[in-house]
Amino acid sequence: MAHPVSFWPTCLAMLAVTFGSRLTGLLVRMRLPSYWLRFLHFVPIAVFAALITPSLEGSRGEGGIRFAAAGLAGVVAWRTRHLALTIAVGLAAFWLLRLVY
Amino acid sequence: MMPLWLGVAPFALAYAVLARNAGLSIVETQALSLLVFAGSAQVSAVGLFSRGVGGLEIVLTTFLLNVRHVLYGMSLGRVVPMTRRERLIGAYLLTDEAYGVSVARGARSFPFVLGAEVSLFLVWNVTTLVGALVGGVIPDPERLGVDFVFPVAFLALLVPLLRLKVDVAVALVAGVAAWLLAKWLPGGVPVLGAGVSGALLGAWLTR
Repeated sequence: MAHPVSFWPTCLAMLAVTFGSRLTGLLVRMRLPSYWLRFLHFVPIAVFAALITPSLEGSRGEGGIRFAAAGLAGVVAWRTRHLALTIAVGLAAFWLLRLVY
Repeated sequence: MMPLWLGVAPFALAYAVLARNAGLSIVETQALSLLVFAGSAQVSAVGLFSRGVGGLEIVLTTFLLNVRHVLYGMSLGRVVPMTRRERLIGAYLLTDEAYGVSVARGARSFPFVLGAEVSLFLVWNVTTLVGALVGGVIPDPERLGVDFVFPVAFLALLVPLLRLKVDVAVALVAGVAAWLLAKWLPGGVPVLGAGVSGALLGAWLTR
């Protein structure tokens, strides 16, 4: 895979926007309009979902087993809300299904 | 705090392995954990790095993912009295987990907040280092399907957030939109587009 040429500028800009967000809330005394409070509530939901779907299928023609393993991981996440367990089950299912098919 | 450390450690490990797989060096992998210290943004950044996405889109995605910290800061600043210097340190180390613990069962004093934050920072960074060292020696990680960790990790982050029907609706719309956009648009644009429009839709639906 290509090495990211622009790593350091990107890293420093990520630091700036992250620290900036964290500091703004602690320094500024203001009340956000309710529309933007609700917008912020939905941001992680929408972004996480948007990060999942384009990388779900993969590029090795294993879409079927990846969907199945992700489905199982989704059930584990729903029942347990446990991050590490969800990832472990998802990967284990993926590897097992790969062996079978 | 213990369950939080146990939740953070495997995530840092997965992040570091993904980062090494994406072509980042050990120093670069560690730098993101030390300087940015935001799990989901770090994982999404290395995922985008590995797809050759430009820096601007990565920074915008980071901003979108971390702008929620404005809310945590406003809430924390109201319940915990802090000096200006304490606010600077507290802001640098602020995370979802530290905020949650401090507001939910905390002593609501700055030392408590700082203790929660620093312990999470240490666990996150030590585990990153372990993962970065291990991740470099995994033979042919692509054949192992390590890239599959990426969608599964975000699935594990997403599902606990889905409490109401409208949350599920927003996730479905954003997910389908990103999947369709990714067929025509490069890299980070689908994530940004679907992320912003999904959140706008959610805010509009709950008006």
